Amino acid sequence: MSKIARLLLIAVFLIVAIGPVAAQGPVEIVFWHMEQPPHRVARVQELLDEFNAAHPDIVVRQEPQNWGEIYTKAPAAVAAGNAPDMLFAIPDFTPIIRAVGAVQPVDDFVAEMNEAHGFFPAAIEPYSYEDHVWAVPLWNMAHSLWYRKSVFAEAGVEPPTTWDEWLAAVQTLTTDTQYGIGLPANRHLYTDQTTYDFMINAGASEIYNPDGTLRFNNEATVAAFDFYKQLYQYSPPDSPNWTWGEAEACFASRTCASILQFTVITTYDTQAEGDPEDLGVMAIPHSADVEQSGTIAYVNGVMVLTDDPAKQEAIYTFLRFLLEPENYGRFLNMEPGLFLPVTESGSQAASYWEDPMVVKYKSQIEVMLENSRNGMLFGFTGGNIFPSIAQISAQNLLAQTLQKVLIDNMDPAEAVAEGQALMEEAIED
Amino acid sequence: MTTDLAGLRRSLGVYLSVAVLLIVVIAPFYWIFTGSIKAPQEIIAQVPTLIPQSLTLEHYDHLLASSAFPRYLLNSTIIAALTMVITVVLASLAAYGIYRLRFPGSQFLFKIILVTYAFPSILLLVPLYGMLSQVGLIDSLWALVIVNVTFAAPFAVWMLQAFFRAVPYELEEAAALDGAGRLRVMLRITLPLTAPGIASIAIYAFITSWTEYMLASVLIISDANRTLPVGLAGIIGQYQVDWGLLLAGATLTTLPVLILFGLVGRNFVDGLTAGAIK
Repeated sequence: MSKIARLLLIAVFLIVAIGPVAAQGPVEIVFWHMEQPPHRVARVQELLDEFNAAHPDIVVRQEPQNWGEIYTKAPAAVAAGNAPDMLFAIPDFTPIIRAVGAVQPVDDFVAEMNEAHGFFPAAIEPYSYEDHVWAVPLWNMAHSLWYRKSVFAEAGVEPPTTWDEWLAAVQTLTTDTQYGIGLPANRHLYTDQTTYDFMINAGASEIYNPDGTLRFNNEATVAAFDFYKQLYQYSPPDSPNWTWGEAEACFASRTCASILQFTVITTYDTQAEGDPEDLGVMAIPHSADVEQSGTIAYVNGVMVLTDDPAKQEAIYTFLRFLLEPENYGRFLNMEPGLFLPVTESGSQAASYWEDPMVVKYKSQIEVMLENSRNGMLFGFTGGNIFPSIAQISAQNLLAQTLQKVLIDNMDPAEAVAEGQALMEEAIED
Repeated sequence: MTTDLAGLRRSLGVYLSVAVLLIVVIAPFYWIFTGSIKAPQEIIAQVPTLIPQSLTLEHYDHLLASSAFPRYLLNSTIIAALTMVITVVLASLAAYGIYRLRFPGSQFLFKIILVTYAFPSILLLVPLYGMLSQVGLIDSLWALVIVNVTFAAPFAVWMLQAFFRAVPYELEEAAALDGAGRLRVMLRITLPLTAPGIASIAIYAFITSWTEYMLASVLIISDANRTLPVGLAGIIGQYQVDWGLLLAGATLTTLPVLILFGLVGRNFVDGLTAGAIK
């Protein structure tokens, strides 16, 4: 055998022997989240860079998406085989992705994280149904009633706890230059949320019966819609077009004396006075038929879509890193004061409480955290969880029913009956 | 005297109408631009200020330095420019074929093209996604160029109809007698005479692509390939709105279109009216 032939043989041997090892490379994970504002993307990237540097065998890459399109885009991507490995979720988005057969159960991993960090029970509940847990909870968001202490004091109004007090306060706070409250009436998710706030506080938090039939049409729901209408008289005339941003602007500009929102901290700090002593936040007042205040709460989580065991393990490694208290606080503070911890260890993490904005508005965030513990989400309560709620929330049927009362001047009882009919139709479809 | 007075009234009426129209058209742009140079507190002030009291460029600084806006701008420019060039070439050739060459079924072909224009793009979303995914074009700028051309070309062909019909056949016949081939006749005689029409379809294709949101939001996945309308929607955020950032982004997004309109806008208007009256 000639020298050249021997060299070629050795080269072929080396390629065959080393090739697969060299080609193996790190496990690449693509995850989609819907936190697109630049500062949030930058914070996530900061954590990804740290993780990737500490785990040379794994590369996690973020691809931020928009909530507006994700309901169309994600199922299309799954169907076309372009789905990400990890996809952020809210409870009513999960059934949509489950319906296209892409979500992997995460029971064991959630149990492990629960052991390590102690999930708040309300965090796991919205993702637990049909014998599995379908997403790993990451943060919570809950509505509170926001106001300025000085405005209330000037008007001689005490923070209300019941509906009677609330109506009286809003009436007193309404002047020639100020609306007592800002309430949306748009056919939009924000209106779904505020409507459900009223339903919870009227004792109408359950939308389903245990057998999966709807129980939306009941006296407590009618009372909630009726009271919404009473307060709505003291809301700005442009509120039928509102989403969250307009409500915050109304509050920041002092046009609205109070609003229901997840948070106003960033806007108040950057676009209004930014005086933490004057910013008031409290639980949403409740009706006389209910003992304590409740609020809508969205536990955001992450779904695992890949069925590749190596990728799944890489994802769990990443999520373990993210939920470690020294990282978790920084993750939540990609938007300080908006994203609330869902674990015991996270709620005490120095990395969470040391952020300058959190330090400045600590008392408000403590109240938000307290309120979030009484949080619930329509269609995910009392163990009566049915994936068909995704059809109801996707069409904003709570808001549509409210519009019948506020815009079409329909009697609340009649509107709620029509609302239930719409929901039944949506579920059947 | 009476005639002068009537003339004056007429002129006043015309000027007043033009002034009102100008205000209606310009006011939103003025509001967006002045808002983009106001301090955050002034943007959302209870009593709006017509003339900015607090001049600042902080929103532009934030937009250009801390977001991927420049990247979105570049992507949109590339896609719109390619859409414009390809649409002009395809629509010119197609229009020439349909309106200048006499062949059986040309009218039917013309109607078919119009029907494709009338087809709602939302209905094509899912099949388009599947097709583009199969050829590996999801998250590619070329995917948007292809779909934008697909949606812009039928209307562009229709717009060119009036221009091509206005060119006398005798000119082409004379050129043919002088020995010019079909392609030469088209390039040297017909197309130069339809230049305003070509300019109008160019600007139409550019704007169609520049403002397209729905398909871009679904077909593009990575931030690096996002276009301006989709990118801007993301920058604004969901629960909290940075109004200054939004207004600065809207101003910079509108600017290239305004410049293009300033350069060839008259041809665009001519193109639309030609289609209406000829």
